[in-house]
Formats: sequence, C-alpha cells, structure tokens
Amino acid sequence: MTPRHHLDSSTIIGHASGALSPELSAIVATHLEGCAECRQAMSHAERVGGLLVDQQQSATGGMSRHDRLRDAMLKRLEQAAAPVRPAEPVEPSRDPDRLPAPLHPYFGSSYRALKWRWMGPGMRYIRTTGPSGGTLLMLKIAAGKHMPMHSHGGTEITQILRGAYDDDLGHFAAGDVADLDSEVTHQPVTSAGVECICVAALDAPLRFPGWFARKLQPIFGI
Amino acid sequence: MSTASSTHNDAAAWSVEMSAIAQRQDRDSFMRIYDHFMPRLCLYLRGVGAVESVAEELAQEALLRLWQNAAGYDPAKSAVSTWLFRIARNLHIDHGRRRDNQAASRGELDDSSWCTDAEVTEDQVDQAGLQRRIDELSAVQARLIRMSYFEAKSHQEIAGELDMPLGTVKSHLRRAFERLQQELGEGA
Repeated sequence: MTPRHHLDSSTIIGHASGALSPELSAIVATHLEGCAECRQAMSHAERVGGLLVDQQQSATGGMSRHDRLRDAMLKRLEQAAAPVRPAEPVEPSRDPDRLPAPLHPYFGSSYRALKWRWMGPGMRYIRTTGPSGGTLLMLKIAAGKHMPMHSHGGTEITQILRGAYDDDLGHFAAGDVADLDSEVTHQPVTSAGVECICVAALDAPLRFPGWFARKLQPIFGI
Repeated sequence: MSTASSTHNDAAAWSVEMSAIAQRQDRDSFMRIYDHFMPRLCLYLRGVGAVESVAEELAQEALLRLWQNAAGYDPAKSAVSTWLFRIARNLHIDHGRRRDNQAASRGELDDSSWCTDAEVTEDQVDQAGLQRRIDELSAVQARLIRMSYFEAKSHQEIAGELDMPLGTVKSHLRRAFERLQQELGEGA
C-alpha cells in the first residue's frame, strides 16, 4: 500500500541530520520502512549533508596529527579483510504478527505478545519512556470510536500500523504518518469495521482540553 | 568553498577512485579519498559535539568501512560524500547512546552497506546543481540548515537560541528543503 500522508520536510531534515530524539526517530524509521517517497526525500537530505561536509574548509590541525592518523589507517588496511560484496539486505518481514523493526527496542517484536492496558471502553494502550525521556505510546482503538480531542505541547509523530482513522486533516490508513506540531488540535475517529493500531512519539506532554480527556491524562501520565 | 563545477568533478572523480578500490584494492585511490575527507569528517564530528579524540576515532572508522564495503558501491545510488556523511552521523549517534547506556539502536538497516534501496537513486550529474541551490539559499535558511546539520540541534533548540517561534523555524526549514528538492535544472 502506498502511503498518502508523509513526513514533514522539517522532520526529514531533523532525522537526516541526527537531531531528532531517539523516540521520534523510531517512528520516522517505522514510516520509512514502508514509504519509498519519504525514503527518497531522506536520501536527498543526506545528500545535502554530504555536500555540506564536503564543502567545508578543511583547517587541518597540524600535518603531524594527520600523518599519524594516516599511518594508523594504512596499518588498519593491512589487517582489514579485502573488500567484499555485501550480502543482499534483508527484506522487511512479511509475517503479519511482526512489528516493524525500529519498534522492537520499545515494544518487542510481536503484535500478539503486546501487553495492552485498559484505558476506556474499546481503548487499550501501552506507554513506554524512551532513552531521552520522550514518550512512546501505542494505541489500539476499536472501530468507530472517537478519540479524545487533544493538541500537542511539542511534536507528535504518529504512524498508523493497522486500521484507519479520520480527523480534520483527512483519512489516515495503515502506512500513513501524521506528523503534527503544536498548532494542531484534532479528534481522530477510527474507521468502521476494523480496529486501529497506531504508535506515536511525543516530545512534550499532550494538552487535553475537555473534562473527559483531562481524566485520561493521569492514566497516560503524559 | 568549492565551486559548483569542482564539486561535480569531485563527485565523478571519487566514483572512479571507488571502482579502483573495489576492483583491485587500490590503496592510493583510497588514500586520496582519505586525505580529502578525513579532515572534513573530523570537523563535522567536532561540530555535532564529539571531542577531538572521539571525532578522529569515528572518522577513521567511517573511512575504514568505506574501504571494506567498496565492492558494493554503486555511483547511481549515492555519492561518496553522502555515504560518508550517513556513516559518520550514525557512528556519532551510536557512540552517544553507548556512552549514555542507551540500548536502543537507531533502528535502520545495517548502515555499513551502501544504499541498496532500488527505489532511491541519486543522480551524480545533479551534484553541481544541488551545490548551487545550497549556495543560493537565503541567509536565514542557510543558517538554519547549518545549525541542523553541523550542530545537530533540534528545532526547539534552534528556536530557543535564535529567539524564533518553533513554527517559524520549521517553515523556514521546510521551504529551504523544498527549494533544494526542486527539479534540478529548473530556474538554475
């Protein structure tokens, strides 16, 4: 399936330059697995990085230092094995139970083994804190449910893994990413007939305006 | 600063050196790449926060991987500069996470192999055009792009440092990237 909602250009630059938190990067990498268009954009952003590195003035910090490193490199070439053709890359698994690889450090590798927690009728969640303190949240919402209305204190990137939902921004189906910033307030409604599983990274607490949502906030702890 | 045409010639020349490394393990070819990129990679790594000894260690490692993986190099897939940038960046991120005892990896394909994505290509002939587009960015766009790449600053950090709303930082970066992505040759 070809995704119809893509990463924001500023997110592409952030990921290419290594400036995104590991939590946001995990969601970006999950989206890239299934999106050739964003992979092409990422490749372009990395190419910009390569050119910027290339065009720097190289103020060499003393030739003796360079010579010493150069000698060390020549020694390493002696010891290194001859260049080999790398093995073909491993295709992303087609096992329907397998979570995308970038999520494994946070959620394990199997949908079936996920330990969902109750959040409300037809709503389950798993929350984990990433290495830099950002939140990763996986949600499983039954078909036809209204999610609480919320906006974001910072950046939220959500990848839809299964099912679909609609909000003011459009229809989001499996493979799509919703890359939102603090200006957006939205209330997703999951599509009829199939539950929706999505995974989000947040680099700041969500702001829930409604009383119901405020009750949910302590459950999330975000 | 390189001119557009020398960048184009460089990119093609590095591909020739890479073929020599791949076909006959030509050390002279490798050392020409080394002499050009080693100081630049060190500068880049210092910029994103590595202390000098770490920057040197990571730059050496990136170049050694270039040697070891030369056989898989396809100039239609990526320029040597792109590949070295990618490896140096990932080595730096992994080094930071190891230092902070963070087990989680960046979660990407094994990055010591070349880009093998059949759908992703990088036209070498366009290197000169892209270089020109970088040179033509507005002052504020160029500054934000540099802060992103060379200081690895998050958009929030950039916004704080320049006293600029986050949304403005993002829209400048978005416009800069769209400019850099336009069909090369258009309006050039």
